[in-house]
Amino acid sequence: MTALLEVDNLSKRFGGFVALDGITLSVAAGERLGLIGPNGSGKSTLVNCVCGTLASEMGTVRFEGATMNGLTAHERTRRGLARSFQLPRPFTSMSVAENLRVPLLYTVNARSAPHLSAAAIDERAAELLSLVGLADKARQLPRDLTQVEMRKLELARALAADPKLLIADEAMAGLSGTEVADIVALLIRLNERGITIILIEHIMRAVMSFSQRLVVLVSGKKIADGAPDIVIRDPEVERAYIGE
Amino acid sequence: MRTLPFSLTSAAIGAIVFAAARLVGNDYLFFAGYVVLQYVVLATAWNILGGYTGYVNFGSAAFFALGAYASVFLNKTYPLPIPILIVIGAVISGFVGLGMGYLTLRLRGAFFAIATLALAVVLQTLIINWSYVGGARGAYVIRPDEIEPIGSYVQYLFLLMLALAVIALTVARTIERSRLGLGFAAIRDDELAAEASGVPTLKLKLIATTISGALMGMAGAPFPYYIGYLQPSSAFALDYAVNSIAMPMIGGTTSWVGPLIGAVLLGSLQQVATVTISSSVNLLIVGLLIVDCVIIAPTGILGLIQGRRTARDVVADPAVFALLFVVNVIPLYFLHQEALTARPLEVIFWGVLIFLAIARGRMIGHPWLIVLPMVGAALSIVPGPSLQWLISALLLAICFAWGLLLRPREDAARSGTP
Repeated sequence: MTALLEVDNLSKRFGGFVALDGITLSVAAGERLGLIGPNGSGKSTLVNCVCGTLASEMGTVRFEGATMNGLTAHERTRRGLARSFQLPRPFTSMSVAENLRVPLLYTVNARSAPHLSAAAIDERAAELLSLVGLADKARQLPRDLTQVEMRKLELARALAADPKLLIADEAMAGLSGTEVADIVALLIRLNERGITIILIEHIMRAVMSFSQRLVVLVSGKKIADGAPDIVIRDPEVERAYIGE
Repeated sequence: MRTLPFSLTSAAIGAIVFAAARLVGNDYLFFAGYVVLQYVVLATAWNILGGYTGYVNFGSAAFFALGAYASVFLNKTYPLPIPILIVIGAVISGFVGLGMGYLTLRLRGAFFAIATLALAVVLQTLIINWSYVGGARGAYVIRPDEIEPIGSYVQYLFLLMLALAVIALTVARTIERSRLGLGFAAIRDDELAAEASGVPTLKLKLIATTISGALMGMAGAPFPYYIGYLQPSSAFALDYAVNSIAMPMIGGTTSWVGPLIGAVLLGSLQQVATVTISSSVNLLIVGLLIVDCVIIAPTGILGLIQGRRTARDVVADPAVFALLFVVNVIPLYFLHQEALTARPLEVIFWGVLIFLAIARGRMIGHPWLIVLPMVGAALSIVPGPSLQWLISALLLAICFAWGLLLRPREDAARSGTP
């Protein structure tokens, strides 16, 4: 398998605080990667640096072999790297369906492929909404959604950009057991369609059932990388989570 | 409606307005109408950046003045017809908008607003010290009295401003319904999420500042010919900055209709108030009206029309009811002291009082409360002996007291509280 995303020696500091310390990571095309770590370990910072929301001081991020240093976030999205936000950030003045029209118009239609017509865009939005189970909420405003539905919208909007790599940042926080299972099943289905997925999650059951490979971050450093059941028994990981 | 039919329709409406004004045959109408139309253009322009994209620009006066001073400069060096001056004003202000965007768009919220205000101050200082365009003394622009084939020059200027208003509204409406408008709205709602969805936020914000600046420059270009004598303090007047923010806010910022409603309403009101009563009471009235709007219709008149139930609930709250009631009685007192010509202005405030009575009356289960201000309004506005005014004041007092003191009926209270 070829590497889709390569992160090489990535570092990021906020003032004197080192948030990421020389992270090197590679994700193969079609892979399902779980990324875990205690609170404040740098997971979200890593996502922000990879997606271009934050600029990193050192290191490179390559996507499909081409370096992405210096690219803005929207350019990275257009190359096929989509993310959902940890706290849902819907476009509050737009209906749920219109929320999806933004990435469809600005990402899918901005690529060189033939442009989608207005009807095709509506169709694609409806398709995505029924995929995440929001079909009957299409005309509602985000403020009328529950927290769970908001997270589904967040995921649908990331998917609307038609990504090659999807980074789901805690898409399941606050969800009930069956809902978590639903989302995991959805993510696996997407993965089978050829989307590479990085899942950042605290719910271990979800991470374990989803991931083919697990990466653990602690205080900005990568301390483990490998098959989930082996990583989880790693003494260093245990120490980070449980203490000595 | 598509863009072409829309602009044709609005041009036709403009033509009817112009024909009607000519029928009245009073040149003052054109004089006042010009200012209202100018505010339509300014409010619409402001709204493209402020309403659609969510960046509050306090420097509207700078772009307006830039257009005006470009005209003064050219009038001195190489006189050109006004339509060409309008295009030049648009280009210059558009470029300054682009430049300002590059410098300031990293800032958000209050910081951006302050930066735009600073731009206005810097430009004003430059103009004051540039003697070629009159400096602090100001510059005279001699305009002809008549122009073929329209006749009076004021009518010509009015017609030009009417055309600009049609152009501005068409631009705003086209943006609103396009991909660009969706991108602007995404930036307004959440810039980070917009960027993550592939929206090139910096580019779009620069487009917004450029279009907005260009439209403001267009509005400013004919101004020296209108006023005849341009000085920095009138071109950079705070009125422009404040009005071009207040008008869209009052009308509603999410649609092109909002600034139009706000500008026509507030602009005409200011014109009527300036003529019929002193300009200081004018300020009081406009200020109180803005207070009303902020409380009753925080999303603008459009939001109110679109039936957000919240407005009625908010004013039904006893404290808000009392405050707004008092706020709206104050201008009634002042207006009534003035000449009979000021009476029509009372209608607005009576209207708000009636709205308050409806909301409060329904809330406490005494909907007949509305009768009191309605009778009061009729007695107050129709000319008659001073006893009439006394009765209407009494009715207001009763409405106020009962609105606060009457016990809510049990059944109403139960159904009123969700």
